[in-house]
Amino acid sequence: MEKKELPVVGKKKISSDRCVVTGKGNWYFPLSDIYETPDNFTILIDMPGVGSENINIELQDNELIVNGEISQEAYTDEKVIYNEYNIGHYHRHFVISDAINRDKIEAKMSDGILAIILSKAEHVKPRKIEVKAE
Amino acid sequence: MGLIKWDKTGHLDNLSHIQREMSELFDFLSSTPQAEGYTNVEYPPIIVSTNEENVFVRAELPGIKVSDLDVRVVNDILTIKGERKFTLDTAKVTYLRRERDYGTFARSLVLPEKVDAEKVTASYKNGVLTVRLPKAPESKPKQVIIKKS
Repeated sequence: MEKKELPVVGKKKISSDRCVVTGKGNWYFPLSDIYETPDNFTILIDMPGVGSENINIELQDNELIVNGEISQEAYTDEKVIYNEYNIGHYHRHFVISDAINRDKIEAKMSDGILAIILSKAEHVKPRKIEVKAE
Repeated sequence: MGLIKWDKTGHLDNLSHIQREMSELFDFLSSTPQAEGYTNVEYPPIIVSTNEENVFVRAELPGIKVSDLDVRVVNDILTIKGERKFTLDTAKVTYLRRERDYGTFARSLVLPEKVDAEKVTASYKNGVLTVRLPKAPESKPKQVIIKKS
């Protein structure tokens, strides 16, 4: 089959001048959603191909750093003839404020989506103020 | 005639400056813009690879239930259909940032080689769908025996 030359689109590549990345291979910005509930913030990050054992989440000062490493072992015996997306590691970082309770950060990985649940600190949670009748 | 002082604002220099600006403009106009999403291609983007025995079609489809995926092979056409369902109750949550898409998708592609449709298998792991299509006997490489006369 003739190899088709089509532009590879999709992921936004991270250039090394924008942040420090180490290790072999290319790094990409994964797409992410952030939503808020009364008790917490949730970050959802699409990281297809990354297993839960290859995810590394660190909290440094007020930066939450997420790295996901990918394995391309499956392709070792194969010849790629048509390619529309790039495969690479994922990196993304978020700045978090004092509104987050740093002792209560949870992360779950399922089907290539990483969910990070950041609990709100007590002082920012909605409170109901009782009105006293005199 | 003595030496002429090199003057950056000379007429010739202005001309070459304009020329440079113009060529930069043409480079900019003719370059293909870098896509940041999947909007310009069919969804899902795929990778097709082969080895001696099989054809593999892979697609990154994070967060899809296997029951919402439909993979079919008819003759030499593979169709991947599915839906990425939105499960959150938007009345209860407030979105602060939204980059990920949801919805239905369908895509068909002509396979590069004849495959044995009966033996096609598909697996879904860590958000990546892998369809393994064993090659039909007629498209497997065959060694030709050379007879010595």
